[in-house]
Amino acid sequence: MAPRPGRAPYLTERSRGGENAPVTDETKPRAPFAPWDRRELPGLFSVEETARRVGNYKWAEMRLFEVLGGWVATVPELDVKLVLGRHCYHHAWHSELWHKRLPELREMNPERLTVPANDAFVTFMDAVREPEAPEHTIEKLVGVYRVLIPRFIAAYTYHLNGTSRITDAPTIRSLSFALQDEFDDWRDGEMLIQSLLDTPEKIERAGRRQEELEKLALASGGIAGPGSLGEPAQEVSVA
Amino acid sequence: MKKMLPESELARDERFVRSKIEDRIFDPRGAKIAARNTGPAKMATDRPAAAERSRSLMHGIFVGEVQALEGAGRTCFDFDDTEAPFQLKLDMARQCWDESRHCEISIKLGDHMGTEIGEYTESTFLYSAACNPDPVLRLCGVNRALEGLAIDVFSTMKEFGNESGDPVLEFCEDWMLADEVTHVKMGSDWLRRLTDKDPERRERALEFQRTVDAIFNLGGFRGDEEENVIQLARRFRELAGFTEEENDSLSALARESTEQAREMAEMATAALNAQSS
Repeated sequence: MAPRPGRAPYLTERSRGGENAPVTDETKPRAPFAPWDRRELPGLFSVEETARRVGNYKWAEMRLFEVLGGWVATVPELDVKLVLGRHCYHHAWHSELWHKRLPELREMNPERLTVPANDAFVTFMDAVREPEAPEHTIEKLVGVYRVLIPRFIAAYTYHLNGTSRITDAPTIRSLSFALQDEFDDWRDGEMLIQSLLDTPEKIERAGRRQEELEKLALASGGIAGPGSLGEPAQEVSVA
Repeated sequence: MKKMLPESELARDERFVRSKIEDRIFDPRGAKIAARNTGPAKMATDRPAAAERSRSLMHGIFVGEVQALEGAGRTCFDFDDTEAPFQLKLDMARQCWDESRHCEISIKLGDHMGTEIGEYTESTFLYSAACNPDPVLRLCGVNRALEGLAIDVFSTMKEFGNESGDPVLEFCEDWMLADEVTHVKMGSDWLRRLTDKDPERRERALEFQRTVDAIFNLGGFRGDEEENVIQLARRFRELAGFTEEENDSLSALARESTEQAREMAEMATAALNAQSS
């Protein structure tokens, strides 16, 4: 076998002569990042911007878990009642994750940043939380599962994809847990809605409700305000 | 949506039939049943009506869980951030999830035991304890009095499951019992934290708890004696943070209620006898 100048001998050569040479060399330098680890620096968000967004998330998750809890007593459909009780906790837990993250982002008074993105977002959330009557289950569910939760999914996904996977790993971990819940809850809610929409009139009701709320959400820019999903993509001319 | 939803507005589907507590207490059939003197009221497998009584109690547990879920949910919503701390609301949201699971368990156990939703009536006075406008009083009434009662009920049902050779019932009641101990601890913790510097508010909360406890002792339903349907689960209550003194006090209150119930039954029986002679 040909010698390999400057490199460790092959295992068979090294082992020749009854020596018990180590199979690996602990002192050999290895790259700090494995070839499959594609994490990079920097990310899109500064510490301050991350804290601002996290504060917005916490505020929105709080308003959501409160109303899900409040609605439990107002919906006559037993299956919906029980799902709302379960989801109420999911969103409370998300708000707790964000509450704990804020001091780690140099915000020692978490209440200071636990605010809505803007006044338009308050108007939107007030509208989502407004239905009360027992015959308004469709309006309640459409607001949460067809308008609000998809916006959580969008804002969290944008944040997850944009932030640095090295410097902001703790936020990413929380985003991943929250997103998993959001997807599962969205599916539960959407299936409940589909099971309730058993006439063309109810489908129209759901559509009207969704349209009203979509307009309010648009005016707010989303859960973290304008830029919740980043700047609109610019069309690039190839001419 | 408005804050503070009265019990009259609790939303139910058409299977549910609501009854008032006074209708139950003053039901004229009660005196006739009491006059039969059928032995101790404690849940026991050798009683001829054991299966029927356990089904009725299971349905009562189910509607109680629905109302506990609704009450915890309203506590998340009814108070703003200055009236109820963020962490308290998180605890109530957690309780929502727990109560939601208890509803699911109770529905499946009801099926298992041969009853169905709406076979028995629902009294909503459990939820009414969750309508108190002071969050401390509400937690004392719900988490210490009612969830304390739930410890007694689940412990009794667990024992009944064991004695009747029903491992499914015993298994499920044991899991729910574990959650209820947690809920009582939440109530005790928040009572201590929120009234740390306000002994007057603490006393009002404890008084409210005693009132709720007294309602649920009514007619000798719960106590330490053989004639009580539900037995006081002292060991689990201690795990949940109740002191021996509190348990003794509750036991004394239960004996008083049982005695009152006996006197009422005797009076009713005498009145029935007078009518028939």
